[in-house]
Amino acid sequence: MKYFVDIDGRPHEVELEDHLGQVSVRVDGETLDLEYSEVDGLGQFLVLSEGRSYGVSIDGNTRELSISITGSLFGVHVEDERERAAGAAERSAEKLGGLIKSVMPGIVVQLLVEEGQKVQQGQPLLILEAMKMQNEIAATVSGVVRSVFVESGQALASGEKLVQIEES
Amino acid sequence: MFKRILIANRGEIALRVIRTAREMGVECVSVYSDLDVHSLHTRMGHLAVPLGGDLPATSYLVAEKILAAAAKTGAEAIHPGYGFLSENAEFARAVVKRGLTWIGPPPGAIELMGDKIASRRAMLAAGVPLVPGLTDPVTDVDAALEAAKEIGFPIMIKAAAGGGGKGIRIVRDGAEMASAFRTASGEATSAFGDGRLYLERFLENPRHIEVQVMFDEHGGAVHYGERECSIQRRHQKLLEESPGPTVDADLRARLGEVALRVGAAAGYVGAGTVEFLMVGDEFFFLEMNTRLQVEHPVTEMVTGIDLVRDQLEIAAGEKLARAQADIELRGHAIEVRINAEDVSAGFLPATGTIRNLRLPAGPWVRVDSCMYNGLEVGLSYDPLLAKIIVWGADRGKAIERCRRALEELNVGGVRTSAPALLAVLREPEFRAGNFSTQFLEGLDLTSREGPEERLVAALAVVHRRAGARRRALSMDSGGRQGWLARGRAHQARQDSWEGGR
Repeated sequence: MKYFVDIDGRPHEVELEDHLGQVSVRVDGETLDLEYSEVDGLGQFLVLSEGRSYGVSIDGNTRELSISITGSLFGVHVEDERERAAGAAERSAEKLGGLIKSVMPGIVVQLLVEEGQKVQQGQPLLILEAMKMQNEIAATVSGVVRSVFVESGQALASGEKLVQIEES
Repeated sequence: MFKRILIANRGEIALRVIRTAREMGVECVSVYSDLDVHSLHTRMGHLAVPLGGDLPATSYLVAEKILAAAAKTGAEAIHPGYGFLSENAEFARAVVKRGLTWIGPPPGAIELMGDKIASRRAMLAAGVPLVPGLTDPVTDVDAALEAAKEIGFPIMIKAAAGGGGKGIRIVRDGAEMASAFRTASGEATSAFGDGRLYLERFLENPRHIEVQVMFDEHGGAVHYGERECSIQRRHQKLLEESPGPTVDADLRARLGEVALRVGAAAGYVGAGTVEFLMVGDEFFFLEMNTRLQVEHPVTEMVTGIDLVRDQLEIAAGEKLARAQADIELRGHAIEVRINAEDVSAGFLPATGTIRNLRLPAGPWVRVDSCMYNGLEVGLSYDPLLAKIIVWGADRGKAIERCRRALEELNVGGVRTSAPALLAVLREPEFRAGNFSTQFLEGLDLTSREGPEERLVAALAVVHRRAGARRRALSMDSGGRQGWLARGRAHQARQDSWEGGR
């Protein structure tokens, strides 16, 4: 069975084959030797691969996982072929237009544009404060501000919609 | 010595102070916000007093609440840690006025060093070398552009009342001034209630070197050598070491002499840090931090001296326990800061709940951490989760020990700065000791594919498949066990566990 794995934005293809209980794994076309066993039922695992041993922790559900290994935490998105087909339609719809989302959690300090206003690519739209640092969020395209989804003083999670620009 | 002190802070620094105080037989009063009810410092103090509130402005920054907690518990002195009220002269005065001891420098010294303009004037008078710049702050963009003509680009603008990297911007030409001024002034206003900015020449590729000083109130003064803190991003330090790889005994003596002159000019008492920018073997006074620094442990590791113990003894009126000739830097120490940050997304703040925590240990590894399994990391406080400090016989061994310790660290649930630190430790220029404050910004950390990337991909898929199989099997067995009362209870537990995922 084939899976599409995205690790922090980097795509990989993983194939899993089951021959009478003997599972083999191929990552990007190359076979990888892997054994894994659960340590404590809370997310700690022992992983043995290519003669090396790793103490790993895994959190999350079947599609969105976070895997911590040798000091680094990786955000992993897993899709099988059916899920990928369903997701493709959704993704292409999202890419249309200049929808700007927050890339970090924070607080809106100041709005610099209003609905109906013309903006140039690179023009600051609003100031977002996170961890006491203020950052200007700039327009990704030139056009007219169609919607402003946030207001001054509002606390945001990562990935929330900020401003929709209609490209011109 | 004091019988009981109050620690007006949270996180790893509160624990740091509690540990030494406990060793000295001094009782500690912890204070905590609503969000910190379960935090380690709340649990590790001898007493704990709730402050209420969540954000710093409604909890750790409210002087009256801290003073009331001290009065209620009979604490004789207040240790402010770093950040929060540690460099607030008004608070220090209020502490003294209540008849309590302030474990820090005299309020006048805090005030002088907190005011960039006044401290510049005082240092100029004391013959301390300074970076070319303005002695008066500016309040608007036009005045800033006018001043820029005299100083020359590139220019650094920073908050007149600032510290900790807030309200700082680099401006390379006049066109960048308006945007930089607006955001810096906004930051300064929101952080300090003062939007005035100060301009100075930006030194290209300098090193950040600082000297730890300690003054008692009887005229005793020593320096504990330097710390190299050039590995920083947006003026937030990420890795510090001592001794500095480019500082020899002669330069150390010169740095120490100037640092002590800075402290003396401010009428300093207690622990302080004098920061310098260094180009070649020329150094310029940057500022003095009138408190214990985050990175103080590297100095402790190479000198064998407990700086918090020094602070408490000096605050209690004792004389410095040693002379300059008694102080020797032995071996090499490195500190790395484990922040809740997403390195691959440009160091954006990371949030989440800590799981599967495994802290490094073993020979010559010290961990000052406030993490525990279940800790919710939010945006209300500083992102510093832990500091890992290692000692090695020489710099090379310290680097390898630091790498080993970072690889041992496992923080599930929240992204940390660890991958960036590992990348720095791998970098040949860093290993050669050849770097400046620009080093980290020049390092591409976003597209770095770790050596474990393929393994992670495979693991995710194998784990997903194992999870699916486990669920299928447990449904099957649950069906059969349903005939027994015990089996039903087991199945209910299983369901609630699955549901909670």
